[in-house]
Amino acid sequence: MSLITIIWSVSAAACLTLAGINLLVWFQNRKAWANLFFFVLGTGTAAWAFCELRMMRARTPAEFATVLKWGHVAVWLLILSLVGFVRVYLKAGRPWLAWMVCGLRTLALVVNFLVGQNLNYREITRLRPVLFLGETVQIAEGVPNLWMLVGQLSFVFLIFFIADASITAWRRGDRHRVLAVGGGAMFFIIFGASQSLLVFWGVARVPLISTLSFMGLVAVMGYELSSDMIHASELGRKLRVSEAGLHDVEERMRLAVEAAGFGVLIRDFARNKFWASDKWRDLFGFSDTERLELDVILQRIHPEDRERVGLMAERARSGYGNYDMEFRAVLPSGEVRWIGARGRVEFDGTGKPAFARSVAYDITRKREAEDEAARLRRHIAHVDRVSMMGQLASALAHEINQPLGAILRNAEAAELFLQDKAPDLEEVGAILADIRKDDQRAGNVIDRMRGLLKRRDLERRPVDVGEIVGEVAALIHSDAAARHINLNLTVADNLPPVFGDPVHLQQVLLNLIINGMDAIAEADLEDRHVSVAAVCNGQIVEIAVSDSGPGVPADKLAHIFDPFFTTKPNGMGMGLAISRTIIEAHDGRLWAENRNEGGASFRFALPIVEKDASKCA
Amino acid sequence: MCVTVPIVHVVDDDASFLTAISRLLRANGFSVKTYSSAHEFLAQRDADAPGCVLADLRMPQMNGLDLQSALAQTPNPLPILFLTGHGDIPSTVRAMRGGAEDFLEKRAPKERLLDAVTRALARDSRERGVRDRQRELRARFDTLTERELEVLSHVLQGQLNKQIAWDLGIHERTVKLHRTAITTKLKVQSVAELTRLTQEAGIFPEPVRTFPKGL
Repeated sequence: MSLITIIWSVSAAACLTLAGINLLVWFQNRKAWANLFFFVLGTGTAAWAFCELRMMRARTPAEFATVLKWGHVAVWLLILSLVGFVRVYLKAGRPWLAWMVCGLRTLALVVNFLVGQNLNYREITRLRPVLFLGETVQIAEGVPNLWMLVGQLSFVFLIFFIADASITAWRRGDRHRVLAVGGGAMFFIIFGASQSLLVFWGVARVPLISTLSFMGLVAVMGYELSSDMIHASELGRKLRVSEAGLHDVEERMRLAVEAAGFGVLIRDFARNKFWASDKWRDLFGFSDTERLELDVILQRIHPEDRERVGLMAERARSGYGNYDMEFRAVLPSGEVRWIGARGRVEFDGTGKPAFARSVAYDITRKREAEDEAARLRRHIAHVDRVSMMGQLASALAHEINQPLGAILRNAEAAELFLQDKAPDLEEVGAILADIRKDDQRAGNVIDRMRGLLKRRDLERRPVDVGEIVGEVAALIHSDAAARHINLNLTVADNLPPVFGDPVHLQQVLLNLIINGMDAIAEADLEDRHVSVAAVCNGQIVEIAVSDSGPGVPADKLAHIFDPFFTTKPNGMGMGLAISRTIIEAHDGRLWAENRNEGGASFRFALPIVEKDASKCA
Repeated sequence: MCVTVPIVHVVDDDASFLTAISRLLRANGFSVKTYSSAHEFLAQRDADAPGCVLADLRMPQMNGLDLQSALAQTPNPLPILFLTGHGDIPSTVRAMRGGAEDFLEKRAPKERLLDAVTRALARDSRERGVRDRQRELRARFDTLTERELEVLSHVLQGQLNKQIAWDLGIHERTVKLHRTAITTKLKVQSVAELTRLTQEAGIFPEPVRTFPKGL
């Protein structure tokens, strides 16, 4: 087989192979236009190689002319696809230059079919055999077609176009591509175009070998594209590796989160989708496959907490971002669980919520422990009140026997009056009114006592401090009298109400007054008094219970509020500790100090009801 | 002699009980005066009038026991009855040791209350009689001179005129004259009567020996 046949055939075959591969690539990814252009380029080159070979082997001038004419179709395809390829691959090149090339080349193709035998020759007069690569091949001799200049002009513009695109891409920093595509294309185009120029104008008596330059063009482009593909597959592999790593990290995170007992919930606002970890589903009683919707999730929240949770979530969505809340979840089995949830809403560029990520954890035991502690505290407070009542028992018995005694004597007197022949009914009426009044009095004492003895939760409402002081004084005044202690009450006028539980506040006051009286009993001085003063001071009402006792020893001042700390022989040591707990539950403060003039002063401050803030300035 | 009605003085800081008990006592025929505090009673009382005191044990400022001791210092210590809402042992003991007539709970049965008041008034009247007699006797003794009292003490010890004269370093006849003056002034007939009268008047603080020395 001749060398020429081998070279041209192999070139064509190589081009077709590369073209085929790129066609497949384009099929996989329809946006890969560079590959499609390459396919056309390769196919065109193969067709042109076939034409060139036929021309070299032409037997008549007419055959030569016909082959050349049809060869121009391949050239047209080749040039246009080259323009497309450069434009797409380098992402550069002025559009007008590109259109100019395409326009000129199309015009050349039209001329090719209309004027003379083909674009290059008006008429081929004869074929002349020449020696090429050790073989005899035919070249054409005849009258050149001046319209050939249109085709050659298209090459000039093509060179300009590629140069311009290369410069733009070079400046952009895409140097490797420019060198390969721009440089390679320029070299082979100039080589091929100038060779054919010399041949067609009859300067060089050699056959057309532009297949070789087009082949070089295809090889360079093919190399570029395949190295891109290799690069892409390398990237793909790396991506898979890093994806695997990411999965690993995710898995480790998941393990840590699950181990901590946290459930994870992610909400995608744009797609309105929820994703939850298994633990989260478990916490809220969802099966693994159940679809999560906002309504379904809300249904699992305890009805009493639903509104609060909704408000909190709304606040986070509307720009606050973070949230942290505790609420109850009701499982389908009816079980109620306390859930702690902490999360964050992420916003997109426009400030709309994009994602919400949150962790939820079971705090049922913690809440139960807290409730238990509160219950115990109430219980101790109750026991304390009961023991305090024990101390007060004789005073209270006196307090009740007083009205009962009056009732008895009044009743006995009335009986006697009624035995008269002419009973003084007016007097009897007065007696009955007094009986009623004293009965009321005894009832009040019992009510007050029962109120103090009852064990109950804190129920805060606006309370008049003056009333509390008065009630406590009524309970304690006979006890104070029996101990020869003056109870001085000074309550400022127009005290604003405080927000508190009257029974608990009475207990604190009672406790402090009894402590004050106990201190005096030990001291046995001439001046024996306990004073209770209530004043308004800014946003708070301050109540001071001061006694004329010896004061608190300096070394004990720091410990008197500790539980089980007592200086009394029969004390439980809980009174002040509980009093402080109660006051702190009222957002207030309880403290002790020794007065300069002697004696201790226990003070507590309570915040006033907010809307009355203006009353006390 | 003007006969004054005995008055029951009720002292209690509880106005309601004060009214009730005074109604009952009046309905039972007693004369009653009420006071809301011990000070008020001490300031207003008629220094010499008969009666008794019914006082609440627990009162501010001056309580029942304080009133009891204050009353004991006066020349007319009326019997005192204590009322209490709820009695405790220490104050009961103290009250009774201080000579309280009785110790009543405010809701004690009516009969006990009325009996106690009646008893207290009777005791007052009795003590008042004793006090009157003593006062009269003392007035008689007050007429004796220093020397006559000296002689009287020796007579009451059962000494004979001769021994008295020897002890005092005076003549026996002078002793006789002193004895005649004593019996005249004290209006007594015998030594036995003299002894009883002296005891009744409570003149000599130490117990008088009625038998001669050495016997």
